[in-house]
Amino acid sequence: MEEEDRKKIILMLRWTAIIVTSYLMLFGRGRVTNLHLSYLLILIYLLSNVSLSFFPKTWFSNLKLFYPLVLFDTGIVSFGMYLSEKMTTDFYIVFFLIIIFASVSRNFKLLMVIGGITALLYGGLLYSWGLLTKEEGSSYTLRIPFIFIMTAFYGYIVQTLTREKRQELTISEDKYRGLFENANEGIILLKNPQYQIVDVNREMEKVTGYIKGELIQKDVFSLFPPEEMEKAIDYFKEVAEIGEGRTDSLSFMKKDGLSMEVDLSTKRIDLGDESFYQTIFRDLTEQRKLEKKIRQSKRNLEAIFDGIRDQLSIQAPDYRILRVNRAVVEKYQTTFEKLINQKCYEAYFKRSQPCEKCPVSVTIETKQPATSTMKGPEENTTLQVFSYPILDEKGNVLSAIEYVQDITEEQRLQEQLIQSEKLAGIGILASGVAHEINNPLSGIIGMAEIALEEEDATKSESYLKDILNCAQRISGIVNALRSYSRAAKKEELSLVDLNEVLEESLKMVRLANKKAPVEVIKRFQPIEKIEANTGEIQQVFTNLVTNAFQAMDGKGGELVLSTQPLKDSIEVKVSDQGMGIPQKYLNRIFDPFYTTKKPGEGTGLGLNIVYRIVTKYEGTIDVESKEQVGTTFTIKFPTRRVES
Amino acid sequence: MSRKILIVDDEEVIRKFLRIHLTKLGYEVKEAADGEQAIEQIGRDDFDLLICDILMPRKDGWEVIKEVKSDPKTKDMPVIVLTAKNEDTDMFKGYDLGANYYMTKPFTKAQLLYGLQLMLGKA
Repeated sequence: MEEEDRKKIILMLRWTAIIVTSYLMLFGRGRVTNLHLSYLLILIYLLSNVSLSFFPKTWFSNLKLFYPLVLFDTGIVSFGMYLSEKMTTDFYIVFFLIIIFASVSRNFKLLMVIGGITALLYGGLLYSWGLLTKEEGSSYTLRIPFIFIMTAFYGYIVQTLTREKRQELTISEDKYRGLFENANEGIILLKNPQYQIVDVNREMEKVTGYIKGELIQKDVFSLFPPEEMEKAIDYFKEVAEIGEGRTDSLSFMKKDGLSMEVDLSTKRIDLGDESFYQTIFRDLTEQRKLEKKIRQSKRNLEAIFDGIRDQLSIQAPDYRILRVNRAVVEKYQTTFEKLINQKCYEAYFKRSQPCEKCPVSVTIETKQPATSTMKGPEENTTLQVFSYPILDEKGNVLSAIEYVQDITEEQRLQEQLIQSEKLAGIGILASGVAHEINNPLSGIIGMAEIALEEEDATKSESYLKDILNCAQRISGIVNALRSYSRAAKKEELSLVDLNEVLEESLKMVRLANKKAPVEVIKRFQPIEKIEANTGEIQQVFTNLVTNAFQAMDGKGGELVLSTQPLKDSIEVKVSDQGMGIPQKYLNRIFDPFYTTKKPGEGTGLGLNIVYRIVTKYEGTIDVESKEQVGTTFTIKFPTRRVES
Repeated sequence: MSRKILIVDDEEVIRKFLRIHLTKLGYEVKEAADGEQAIEQIGRDDFDLLICDILMPRKDGWEVIKEVKSDPKTKDMPVIVLTAKNEDTDMFKGYDLGANYYMTKPFTKAQLLYGLQLMLGKA
């Protein structure tokens, strides 16, 4: 029934009741004795209906409004009858109450039967009292169908109301049933307060291995292992008090006797007039396994983290230290707690702001790993600092791992290695130069001996000139050697003109390989100076040029030396037409002690040192080679080097 | 008939004083400034002795000795190596190739005379 209709019908019927009651009170045969009170009563009745017409429609389908309304109406009618001082004749009020109470039963058929019987009983009673034949007879007679009509009407309204309620209930019960059966988690329905199982869902059967029939009527506590019983009782006691509760510390016993850890979540629910506990079971076996695995892998990672002897710390993008490994704690002789949340540059470097060459800042900006060589906090120490990003699922940098290696010793050894190779290189050069000196020296000795024997002054003069020539040649060689070695000795950084150093190195190598049939082609372009150690750059060029000469030994050819400025770097190429390097050796030529030269001709360190020096200046070196065609080494030195 | 000696060296001053010495001693002296010239002269003329430098442009002394010692016509001609290469390995290489005397620069007249005597007997 539409709510609109219900409101209309109720109001209309009340109007009818009001009119009938008022008419009877005012104009009925047995007149009302207290007219003032009856006017008041009629007024209340009228006002109540007027105010009802302003009530929202939905209220009229609510039984909570409906029952008081019926009682109110009954009260007014009864009071009216009381005022008419004819209680004996108006006994029908009793029957009327019977009908009202019957309407509460919500059973329409029963109500109609009761209504019929009541109307008949009332009629019979009136008849036996002889009231039907008196002059007021008709007013009494009319009350009989009135009772019946009222019964039918209230019955009808109550019935429609209850039917709707039932429908709602059925719908919600269907919904509940659907959820219950299809839930991914086991659900048990327990009767309150006995904790007796009344229903379980399919998932519950699957998880526990029981079938529904085995569980129904069982005490829920029998499903827990004996040692867990007390805990289970405590849990349900708490649920009973609060109305709901959750625990993940209970074990549950499956049909096969094995226990499984479960997460229990219980809520009291009211279905109709009954109250239940709905307990959701979640099997925690997998989760516990996973948790155990996670814990173990966390322990493993921690062990690795702490086991690494280099310093590791995890830092937030604002350089706050989030974690450190044992090596850091030992290095700084402090505790984990003291370091956490300190800024990296404050804790490690005792600075007030981030270090200029900090690789962590690069990682945070670029999301890429970065590295940088930095001066350590202690004097004369050098650190190689690496940083790696830790990303979140969206690829944002959550934090960075900073990995610090103390390379002081390594660098010292490298310096020593460079130095000793330099000496070896100079040794090889010197022996070449020595040959060069031996020729004019032989000339001097030979000519001097002849001059001594010569008596002809003009002849001896020409011999002496030869001697002088030879001596000057030697002097030239010695000068070149001296300026070369002076540059080689330089250790501090200065602005270096690569063209100049290349020229100087070429001169020296040329001197040591004077007879080599090599044609040198220089293609030098104006280039900016770079900050470097002259000696080291000279070592690089001398090594490469010497190699080129040796590669063209006997065969001869062109040696092309070129320099040119690029965008952020200077490119230096040393290109020979020598024997070339077989493809299979190409990737090994920069390895230390790798050489194809005969003993005495090379240390096997030359190209390795070249590589070390070039990378020290953050440059790159590449090699291209073809057998019997030639080899080209290409070096790039960056022009903008950030200094710490 | 005086004996003929070929001096091969790219250093003019060395050729010069050798020529003066040897001419005084009564030898007929020819000169070559590099290996190629030397081979050419040896092909044209017969020599009693070859004094040969090692480090020279175009064709070095090793090549010259190899060619001389592999040619049946010239293989008996004595060869004196006269070089600035003074390492043991160079000397062994010279003797291995068939050189008869190995002399390193700088050298004295006495050393030269000793070598000549060894190769050619008393002048």
